[in-house]
Amino acid sequence: MVMACRVISKRRHVGLQQLSSFAETGRTFLGPVKSSKFVIDEECHESVLISSTVRLLENLDLTSAVGQLLNEAVQAQNNTYRTGTSTLLCLVGAWSSAAEECLHLGVPISLIVSVMSEGLNSCIEEIVSLQVPIQNVFDCIDSTKTFSGLETLNVSLYPFLQIPSDTGLMQKKHDLKDVASQSLAIYSLPGRPVKSPKLFGPQAKVEADKNTSQTPQTLGNSLPADTRCRRSVLTHSRHFSRTDNNQRISKPDGFLEQHSAATLKTYRCNDLLELEVGLSHGDHSSMKLVDEAVRLQYQNAGVQQGGRTVPFLFDISGIFTCCLPGLPETLSCVCPGYVTVVSISRTALIEELQKQPIRVVLVEGDLTENYRHLGFNKPANIKTVSESMKVEPDSSEELWTNHVLQVLIKFSVNLVLSQGNVSERLIDKCTHSKRLVVGSVNGSVMQAFAEASGAVQVAYITQVNENCVGSGVCVTFWRSIPFDAVDQTSRVAILLKTEGMNLVTVVLTSPVAAQMQTKEDRFWACAYRLHHALKEQKVLRGGGAVELLCLSHLQILAEQSLNKGNQDSSGWFHNTSSWLASSLALYRPTVLKCLADGWHRYLSTLLCNTASYSSEFEANTFIQHHLQNAADSGSPSSYILNEYSKLKSGIFNSGISNKLEQIPSVYDIVTPKIEAWRRALDLVLLVLQTDSEIITGLGRTQIKSQDSEDFLFL
Amino acid sequence: MMSRVEAKKPSSCESEPLTSERVRVTLSVLKGVVTSCYGPAGRLKQLHNGRGGSVRTTSQSAALLAGLPVSHPVLKMLAASVQNHVSCFSDCGLFTTILCCNLVENVQRIGLPPTTVIKLNKHLLSLCTSYLTSEACGCRIPVDFSCTQILLCLVRSILTSKPACMLTRKEIDHVSTLILRVFLLTIPENTKDRIILGKSVIIPLKGQRVTDSTVLPGILIEIPEVQLMKILPIKKSDSFKVALFCASLSGDLSDTGEGTLVVSYGVSLENAVLDQLLNLGRQLVSDHVDLVMCQKVIHPSLKQFLRTHGVTAIDRVGVALMEPLSKATGTQPIGSLASISPSSYGSVKDLGTAKFGSKHFFHLIPNEATVCSLLLCSRNDTAWDELKLTSQTALHALQLTIREPCVLLGGGCTETHLAAYIRHKTRSEPESILQDSSCTQTELQLITEAFCGALESVAGSLEHDGGEMLTDGTYGHFWSAQADSSSVVNWPDLLSRCGCGLHSCRGELGLSFLRSPRPPFSPLTCLPPQEAAGAANNLTLDCFTAKLSGLQVAVETANLILDLSYVIEDKN
Repeated sequence: MVMACRVISKRRHVGLQQLSSFAETGRTFLGPVKSSKFVIDEECHESVLISSTVRLLENLDLTSAVGQLLNEAVQAQNNTYRTGTSTLLCLVGAWSSAAEECLHLGVPISLIVSVMSEGLNSCIEEIVSLQVPIQNVFDCIDSTKTFSGLETLNVSLYPFLQIPSDTGLMQKKHDLKDVASQSLAIYSLPGRPVKSPKLFGPQAKVEADKNTSQTPQTLGNSLPADTRCRRSVLTHSRHFSRTDNNQRISKPDGFLEQHSAATLKTYRCNDLLELEVGLSHGDHSSMKLVDEAVRLQYQNAGVQQGGRTVPFLFDISGIFTCCLPGLPETLSCVCPGYVTVVSISRTALIEELQKQPIRVVLVEGDLTENYRHLGFNKPANIKTVSESMKVEPDSSEELWTNHVLQVLIKFSVNLVLSQGNVSERLIDKCTHSKRLVVGSVNGSVMQAFAEASGAVQVAYITQVNENCVGSGVCVTFWRSIPFDAVDQTSRVAILLKTEGMNLVTVVLTSPVAAQMQTKEDRFWACAYRLHHALKEQKVLRGGGAVELLCLSHLQILAEQSLNKGNQDSSGWFHNTSSWLASSLALYRPTVLKCLADGWHRYLSTLLCNTASYSSEFEANTFIQHHLQNAADSGSPSSYILNEYSKLKSGIFNSGISNKLEQIPSVYDIVTPKIEAWRRALDLVLLVLQTDSEIITGLGRTQIKSQDSEDFLFL
Repeated sequence: MMSRVEAKKPSSCESEPLTSERVRVTLSVLKGVVTSCYGPAGRLKQLHNGRGGSVRTTSQSAALLAGLPVSHPVLKMLAASVQNHVSCFSDCGLFTTILCCNLVENVQRIGLPPTTVIKLNKHLLSLCTSYLTSEACGCRIPVDFSCTQILLCLVRSILTSKPACMLTRKEIDHVSTLILRVFLLTIPENTKDRIILGKSVIIPLKGQRVTDSTVLPGILIEIPEVQLMKILPIKKSDSFKVALFCASLSGDLSDTGEGTLVVSYGVSLENAVLDQLLNLGRQLVSDHVDLVMCQKVIHPSLKQFLRTHGVTAIDRVGVALMEPLSKATGTQPIGSLASISPSSYGSVKDLGTAKFGSKHFFHLIPNEATVCSLLLCSRNDTAWDELKLTSQTALHALQLTIREPCVLLGGGCTETHLAAYIRHKTRSEPESILQDSSCTQTELQLITEAFCGALESVAGSLEHDGGEMLTDGTYGHFWSAQADSSSVVNWPDLLSRCGCGLHSCRGELGLSFLRSPRPPFSPLTCLPPQEAAGAANNLTLDCFTAKLSGLQVAVETANLILDLSYVIEDKN
């Protein structure tokens, strides 16, 4: 065995360069407008359509060590929060270039590590001022005000919602006809909308006003009659001062610690719809489904508890998706209960079972003769001999099937749900005796059935006794006309439900099978964003506002440390006895500047992706403009808050009508976003500190065929 | 079929292996790898198999040496003795490796006969050990267990020295406190003449924030949510009777051996085993057992049987938890399905469930609380692996400190101080050594220089960014300064504190470059008390036992390597 040891950083840091080039592949996934990609396997000519970072990395061949670490970080983010992976990837790219820049400037590695990580900490503390508390969003939930009502508006105003509404960006309004056709085309055409929305700065406000006033009737028509009582998005805290006092005391994490002018205003989000639109990040069709699912859960909870004394919690584990490729887009919907597909040949059976509630058995594993529970080792050397010649070779499965059927008959069970595979023979037999067997049922679905029907999950059918059998399950077709819902593989969708079951199925349909995965991913992205927001009871100003604040904060910090010198940097380096601690002040401004450049790069990618700027140069000018303003204002956070609200007031004053107050804020979730930042920086710093790769188990000859001069051998 | 017989290859014999170029090069590559890992500013290594296996980012000797399949017997010997040291003491593996490489390298340069070198090395080593273990030792601080400051510094130093853990200062403080708490929880309350420490279990919670890590008394067993639903609600009681199985209860046929087992039609071996399991279940129920735990799998039917009789069953506990479980509950793990002796049962005080992150846990609270669980969180896998190993090292260092209640100064100060002491000692009183080893004064001076140079080189390995390394002529401590500042005369302006953080740079310390020759002096051994108290919050410390052993292992291994005259390898 030979150990090979490759020195990573000689002059240029190969690891960091690899990171930036990997990150480059995913930059188009940042922001609300995501361009899809085809990943093509050159060998077997298969291709996959993807439009998210996770799917991209899943389909790339990342065999290098750095690639694997990147994949690991993205997977970890995805598994924990199901969101924030594009942010992570983009920041990995931005900060690995920043770290490389620091290396070029001769900053010692340990100093880059500690200043960058303390710098990010400082940013994270700073953005608390852009947090928006969420309060009692379920208090004013009512059935008359639904997402679908707003959706007509949103669809027609689609480009508005692309606004990265960080800094008072104004939205140029296109001809509405054009807009409507775009939004129709959005799902059938992968990639960017044909005509991308155009953004420009406040200086062009007049033009925007002109544009909108040109088409007042069209706009008016496209709006639903605004009979709904919407609360104002902005709320002055003094109006709530009585009720808010307690809140201030009980929440010491600093929502209200805003500077100067901003202290007068406390923003709250207490409207579910507003929150959902803000978190949809432009994907309204998915968020609409999430909204419906939440409302269904809310209704269920109300029914179950009778009164509504217990605060309602959005339970994401009670949501299940069922994908039906080949069906028209319009059939996507949310149903209470469990929707799944069965072979079309069982239509008659379903019709039969529809008549009355039936009893159910839940099987944890496969429902086959040979299935044994996990951890059971079947010895291979046992041979069964028979004394008579009567027994047929395949009789054992026959016997088993009969036995299962007997049990089902004994307990009058008409429905069996199995988490694993089900023997074909058993399915046939059961169909004949009017019993439905469904395989490959998701674990959380099983759990929901167990809770609602009183069934206890078993591993083997022999375990079934009266206590294990659940009751009261209703079987129907998903659509009233069953053949409406036949998918590509001639399976028909059915709906199973029980009284009081905490399960909502979101049925996703798409005529283009290749888009199914994307649709499902996007639905879950929206659902998890709402889940985290409600769980944390707070959101961040979205659309680039927090990133702009971080950028501005770091620049100010860099400037301060340049002026003040060594004074406040003592706490920034853990190893105070090293010379590095004393030379920290020398390098700190440089490193902070590079870290800020990373944010800059991130923001300009975001702006370029939303197609508001044709070139990176334009985007940079725009960012620079606001940065300057923010710095001049003395309090960047209040500047950004003000610009944020100007977006709305700009629309208010546009002379159309105040109906346009619905132009929603863009929100972002707090912890998942911050964790994505940390993860990105951790990965970059980990790679930065790595100086060699040790490859174990490769023979000297195997390496020689590659680039052997880089290797040292032991 | 023809069998192919190959002639045996002759064994190879290499004489004077140390003189060969190959050994020299590989030794220096190894030294380069470990040296670059050393200390808080050390560089990390990515260990992987080059074929898409998992990537381990590390700077720990335990992980490095386990992953290095070294080729030459000399290196194998070195790796084996360091690994042996690490398995006993966890800490100071890199120190040992670097020191050993340095010694071999320095001595080779001199070219004295190995026997003289070995003899003198032994003498110098015994000088070191007797100094370090004596009361007069100036680089040793006694540990007062009634005060946590020194212990926290020790843990913090160990965590800080492994940058791949990716901890911020806040996180280091948090984890250090947790580790100290774990350590304190494992100390029994009522001790007579000897302490038997309890057990701690580290439970992974990857993907979460490090600051979400926590310590809980008792044992946490991760179980899937579905299973948790089945065992709920747990009945209330003052005490729960526990049975712990290490045998599988999955209904497997116990080893059927070679050959074929012939069974006549209609006989089901599986059912026979299941019957046996259910009999066992009946016995457990009649013995009023409340909780059955199994290292492996419990047959679903047996679980169902137990559940219907109000017995909680937890399976797939895993081998790692068996010892702590047995200790916490006082059970004898049961290894057979035959009848159970009542003495095997144990008990726990309370049972509960807990949820951390997305994971569900079954929580056992034992009667005697010297068993605890450390839930360790980290954002990514590779940092978690490193954090786990480092936490274990820190915990082990604390345990070793009970045995020998003192710590050594870290940050390179012990090495430079020790070198200064040895230089002074061999200069001022060489007689005893000269008499004993029958060598000349010059030989002694040469070897002393090689030995002390090797020690100082270890301290110098802490520097990775081209800084200047200094040592003072008063305490013999280690200092670092920015490189291009050699023209600056006034050192106090430039230096803040010495490597361990005990002394600040004021007054005339007599600073000189580490690699430059200096007159021997007797390093001051007394620590100014007010200074020690003032700096105690932020000292860099090393585990005494581990470092002392590391020193011994390094010198002895170097002697062994120097003593090699032939390597005979069987090439078959």
